[in-house]
Amino acid sequence: MEKKCNDYTPEDISSFVDNELPYSLYHAMEQHLNHCQDCKRLAEAYTTMSAFFSDHAHQEILKIDPAKLEQKLAHTLENSKSKKKSPGNILGFFGKKIYFKLASISIVAILMISLYTFHEDHPSGPSAIVKSVDTDFASVMIIETQKEQHTIIWFSET
Amino acid sequence: MIRFIKIILLLTGIFCFFLQPAFAESQVLTEVQVIHASTEPLHVDPGLKKIIHELQSVFKYTSYRLIKNQRLNLGFHQRGQIPLPGNRTLVVIPTNMEGKRIRYQINIRKNRQSIFQTQVLLRNNSSITIGGPKFHNGVLLFNISGSVR
Repeated sequence: MEKKCNDYTPEDISSFVDNELPYSLYHAMEQHLNHCQDCKRLAEAYTTMSAFFSDHAHQEILKIDPAKLEQKLAHTLENSKSKKKSPGNILGFFGKKIYFKLASISIVAILMISLYTFHEDHPSGPSAIVKSVDTDFASVMIIETQKEQHTIIWFSET
Repeated sequence: MIRFIKIILLLTGIFCFFLQPAFAESQVLTEVQVIHASTEPLHVDPGLKKIIHELQSVFKYTSYRLIKNQRLNLGFHQRGQIPLPGNRTLVVIPTNMEGKRIRYQINIRKNRQSIFQTQVLLRNNSSITIGGPKFHNGVLLFNISGSVR
């Protein structure tokens, strides 16, 4: 939309139509529009356009059921609350790199289990360490078998 | 990611915390096998399957008969008493844990008099054999095993 008048810019006229100008400017613009046909035409065009949009928006608003909107809002709020509180929000915990994190957990678990089983199943040394022996018999032998390192205490009851 | 690392570290910490004092408040399952070993015709009781190879690697006996098998569930410092052939009694007392070993006090009495006593550190889930007393043309062997639960 071209206009020949250079006194006011289209933005100024748009602001005038939207009642966004300060009173002094508004008044000056009002007077200008009385004698400038170009600006007047532009102002009228803006007014028509504005009225059209306002009318369309109003019609769209009328289509909205306030009860449904309220219900939907309440539902959304409830969902967001439960998502925050839920401890089982696994996707939230794992995020995007789920495979990497699962692999890390597996490695830590395998290491811990290996460490635990190693401690349990592979103790070193004889089956028993003899700390003291007290007997009246002269002959006492402590034997350790070769294969299983089984400890045997032998005393001769004579 | 920081939250994830924190959780991993926390889990590791919890695991290590529970790993060490696993034996702290346990019962000691003590099993005593009384064996009659002699040079009678070849015989091995099936109940001696676990230790027979160890015994045969040391002794020249041909017959190993299981004459008693007794299980005792003892707490630490709790006394377990087992009557043995020939007026003998075996007394076992698990006293404490030293690392992965159970400290046992073992006493053999004959006619109410102590004839043999020893203190041993028995590996958990393992056994010791004490032998020597004569019995019916052979000897008695006592296989004592212990496991902490």
